[in-house]
Amino acid sequence: MSDQTGARAGEESSTYAVEMEGITKRFPGVVANDDVDFAVERETVHALVGENGAGKTTLMNILYGFYEPTEGTVSVDGVPREFDSPRDAMDAGIGMIHQHFMLVKPMTVAENVVLGAEPTRFFGLLTDETAAIRTTRDLAGRYGFDIDPTDRIHETSVGEQQRVEILKALYRGAEILILDEPTAVLTPQEVEALYGMFEELIDEGKTIIFITHKLGEALEAADRISVLRDGRLVETVRAAETTREELASMMVGRDVLFDVTSDPVEYGSTTLAVDDLVVEDDRGIRAVDDVSFSVQAGEVFGVAGVDGNGQSELVEAITGLRPVESGTITFDGEGVTALSRRGRIGAGMAYIAEDRQHRSLVLEYDLLRNGLLGCQTLPRFSNGPFIDWDATGEYVDDVIAEYDVRPPDRDTTARSLSGGNQQKFVVGREFERDPSLVVASQPTRGVDIGSIEFIHNRLLDLRTEGIAVLLVSSKLEEVQRLSDRMAVIYDGQFMDVVDPDDVTEEEVGLLMAGERPAGGGQ
Amino acid sequence: MNRADLERLLDRLVDATVLERVVISFASLLFAIVVGGVIVLLAGIPATCRDPAFVFAGREFCYDPIEMYLTLFEGAGAFGSLTNLGLTLQETSVLLFTGLSVAVAFRAGLFNIGTQGQMVLGALGSALTIVWVAPSLPENVVGTVVIVPLAVVVATVIGGLYGTLPGLMKAYADAHEVITTIMLNFVAMGIAFYLVRNHVGDTTTDSVQTTPIPDFARLPPTIDGTRFSILVLLFGLAAAIALYLLYERTVVGYDLRTSGLAPEAADYGGVNAKRNIVASMTLSGALGGIAGAMYVLMVHYRWETDMPPLGFDGIAVSILAGNNPLGVIPASLLFGALKGGSLQIDFALGVPPELVEVLRGLIILFVAMPEFFRMIGSYAGYGTDGGETDG
Amino acid sequence: MANAEPPKRLGPVVGLVIGLFVVLVFAVVLVPGLRELGADVVGIVDASYVRSALRFTVPIAFAGMGGIFAEKSGVINIGLEGLLIISAFTAIAVMWLLGDQGDAGRMLAMFGGVLASLLVTLLFAIICIEFKADQIIAGLAVWLIALGFAPFGSIIIWGTVNSDSVGSFDPLSIPLLSDLPYVGQVLFRATPPVYLMLLAVPFSWYLLNRTAFGKHLQASGEDPKTLDTAGVSVRKVRYAGVLLSGIYCGIGGAGLALNAGQFVGGGETITSGRGLIGLTTYLIANYNPVGAFLSAFFFAGLDALQLQIQRVPGIELSSTLIGIIPYVAVLIVLTFVGKTRMPESAGEHYESEE
Repeated sequence: MSDQTGARAGEESSTYAVEMEGITKRFPGVVANDDVDFAVERETVHALVGENGAGKTTLMNILYGFYEPTEGTVSVDGVPREFDSPRDAMDAGIGMIHQHFMLVKPMTVAENVVLGAEPTRFFGLLTDETAAIRTTRDLAGRYGFDIDPTDRIHETSVGEQQRVEILKALYRGAEILILDEPTAVLTPQEVEALYGMFEELIDEGKTIIFITHKLGEALEAADRISVLRDGRLVETVRAAETTREELASMMVGRDVLFDVTSDPVEYGSTTLAVDDLVVEDDRGIRAVDDVSFSVQAGEVFGVAGVDGNGQSELVEAITGLRPVESGTITFDGEGVTALSRRGRIGAGMAYIAEDRQHRSLVLEYDLLRNGLLGCQTLPRFSNGPFIDWDATGEYVDDVIAEYDVRPPDRDTTARSLSGGNQQKFVVGREFERDPSLVVASQPTRGVDIGSIEFIHNRLLDLRTEGIAVLLVSSKLEEVQRLSDRMAVIYDGQFMDVVDPDDVTEEEVGLLMAGERPAGGGQ
Repeated sequence: MNRADLERLLDRLVDATVLERVVISFASLLFAIVVGGVIVLLAGIPATCRDPAFVFAGREFCYDPIEMYLTLFEGAGAFGSLTNLGLTLQETSVLLFTGLSVAVAFRAGLFNIGTQGQMVLGALGSALTIVWVAPSLPENVVGTVVIVPLAVVVATVIGGLYGTLPGLMKAYADAHEVITTIMLNFVAMGIAFYLVRNHVGDTTTDSVQTTPIPDFARLPPTIDGTRFSILVLLFGLAAAIALYLLYERTVVGYDLRTSGLAPEAADYGGVNAKRNIVASMTLSGALGGIAGAMYVLMVHYRWETDMPPLGFDGIAVSILAGNNPLGVIPASLLFGALKGGSLQIDFALGVPPELVEVLRGLIILFVAMPEFFRMIGSYAGYGTDGGETDG
Repeated sequence: MANAEPPKRLGPVVGLVIGLFVVLVFAVVLVPGLRELGADVVGIVDASYVRSALRFTVPIAFAGMGGIFAEKSGVINIGLEGLLIISAFTAIAVMWLLGDQGDAGRMLAMFGGVLASLLVTLLFAIICIEFKADQIIAGLAVWLIALGFAPFGSIIIWGTVNSDSVGSFDPLSIPLLSDLPYVGQVLFRATPPVYLMLLAVPFSWYLLNRTAFGKHLQASGEDPKTLDTAGVSVRKVRYAGVLLSGIYCGIGGAGLALNAGQFVGGGETITSGRGLIGLTTYLIANYNPVGAFLSAFFFAGLDALQLQIQRVPGIELSSTLIGIIPYVAVLIVLTFVGKTRMPESAGEHYESEE
């Protein structure tokens, strides 16, 4: 078999773990990858950077066998390969850790690790649970991962889940690990721990490819960096021999200004005041624990923090979707603590909910009907018990045009829109109602980069117009860039309120992890 | 119209969501009729009959599906006698209410399979009301004017309350309405059976039934020789139009619908979703109750156990109508015709009338799989295959 | 979406309650003193009562256990009732065609019933998996079609909605074991469908909890994409889950009809809602086949009671009211005892991205 001798010879000679040559991938109407040559040396960390939509994920999905390339070849360890499915890629030693973790929540860590390749007893008739647990524990031990194989996934933290994903790939014999935006959901400290894991893995002879759009991360963690733009590979450089500015201009295709300084604006009167607020979550556990703050007209007040630290409950209490245990909420000088949701909408409170698909849109409805959501009883849209569909239609058409919602058709259902267009529509609907306060919770989650920029600019416009903005996001970057003042929430409490331009990422990271800097604190 | 125009039209038909539903409904009907025809054809082999419809390859086929369908629709009154037309319209009138009952829940994303039970209890309520109140009323028009609305109101309330129950379970205990309404159907039938047999029924007979309602409480037949009353039909049509307007034009309808489809979004929009879910189910149940009253006042003149499965027919009517209150009108006419004609195929050809129930199931089945028709459409080369645009 | 709350494990609680009931029944039957006492008090709980309760359990338990496989895989099959009907009808029709051929003929009839149920289930699976049909509506359609087709077929074959009386399964005594005191007469002098059921309970539990296939079923219902990326075909797993529910319902329906020796097509047909009760047994038992079997046994016990109670003079209890107890019980459990957590992706269509 010439194939096998070739393979053996290749293994010895090639220093590349992965070689992708002339990769082109066309989707109907789109060229996602255009003649890309991409090679990764063995036992290195290789970063793949580029803006969203640059073709990074497509390229990696080809390597992982999720897509077949339209043109081009893939070689692993010097052997040309054709992958029909992820299973083939796995067999060739490639493992992928997706941005959204692929874990079955009610199952245990060990069950997830072995899923699809369970160790069995009695000629495959029964699964061997103890073997699964033992193997998982051994693997975790070898790479220094701290994890209990018998925990159920829904009991573990995001960082732990990422480790389970890596173990899953290692269990399947992965020599090459692809990580898609691995830091997006981690705290700065967890990110550090992740880089530590990279080193352990490299020491054990693994090769790592990670996708990111954060240049700092690529520079810090990678040995080499490949930049993709509009589906084409711009260049592959050594991390030690490049700069952030150089990478940025490669990525965007022009020089980039990093510091978007938001002009200081004269603040107006206090729009929102929250005093000693206590809110419980669905299980009756105190989720917001004695929080006080205020937002001025013309100010963006940001709340940063890891998901699940009481942000959702805080926002729902302010917008009138969750009862308050104690404390008061004052809006435009009026106490609204007991006011209904509808009352707060009428008083001029706009709300971009974090769960766009369930909260701020009805996916089954067309855009016309979605445009009415929350506005049903406003005199502008209804005439007593009857809906004024003409007025609603005009409003919706305006929103679609002004906020560049595509396709620009009020009869399409919300479900058929992309995440970015759905969110632009929601943002438009809420902003165009002349609110005096905008509560924006995770406004750019699951949204493409073009729409992110658009939404950010609109938020800053509102601020200029003298509207108060409460911005809650788990993306630290976002809060830091847009806010005038920034609170860090941990376990239902504000750790501190800081000036975002005056604080380092490490300091915020510590606050997000619930640690007050030594000597600081309140 | 040249071929290119035709193809463009077909493309639009395959793509358009508005027309799509209509096309799917018609296609489902067609497929159900074809499959039903095949079943009848095959059933003709083992069946025993004196003179087979035709002989093919040495086998005797008792039934000819085409003849059967012709008889079915002829018998339903399209070309038949006035009596048959009356029978069809009588079925249609009651089906309007059961169809609307299911559609109202469906509009709000809720699946009320309990229309049958709501109808059974509504019918019992109206029958008993009449039996108990009628003796103290004059046996003339005055009596009619008092007793008929009273019976309808009682049935509405009972059906409504019986719909409230699964609504509450859904909204506040998160119990799936499909399961609870199925269970409640059995409970309703059991309770009604028990009450009528042991306590409130006609003690002079062994059948489980109430005493018949007096003549002045019966709705006057519009067509001689039948029991069809145009009043019920008009009432049903008015209800369909009113519900259509409620859902299309009013804030209440918008809130009801939003609450069922996306409770969290409804809350976001300032609506109490839980209360509206209960309201939708109550409205649905009330319509089921009215159907029961109509059955007593117009069709059977008493309550008797083993009521016809008009509630289940209502599911088929609503699904075929795309859950649109206006669509319920032609859909109930169709099912009314099927039911009216089913007796005819039994009399004339010996085809078991249960065939109509098979057709009912087949229609539901085909409407449930729009993708099937889209695939057929795109195999034929029509419709632009846009694929998923999810980013 | 961020509902990290672990599912409430109510299956064990309900299982315990039902378990206690079963223990009580067995205690009454087995313990000498209690038995006489029990006989005096209830007058009806004896070996023959438990035997008939077990026979009534067959369709409910098979429908329930079958439903678990389908729903765990992510396809809600509310057509269980329809599958029981189809299988019961076919089994009797095959029996009638064969004439009396002894137990071999009856097994063949049973096989016919299973085959018919499997065929309909295959159609249902294709409709749900390939044509992305709404599972609830498609399941409902299966039920309604069967509800119309079985009496239709009966009239074609026998001239009335009810079949002729054909032979039924005789109890099969297992040598030696059936001579055991008390237990022997209950567990080891039963009809083949009852034995099959008693074997199917542990088999189902093992299949779900101790095999790779069981894990794949769970993953397919909870998070199909994860299973897909782990290299297991979600489609195949779902087909397997749904088809298993068809086989189970086939055994249950044929078992019911062949225990009775007749198909009744009037009203709700011979199954009279047992498939729907089966549907609820696994909701009560939180997808545990053992719990589903015990719930089924409990409901079947009530069913058998309904028949036996008429023989006891002096007890004035409407059999109709006893008949609705299972339905009321289910409503109470669903409303008050707690929420059964359905698999996360049950009812949703999954499309592989490959």
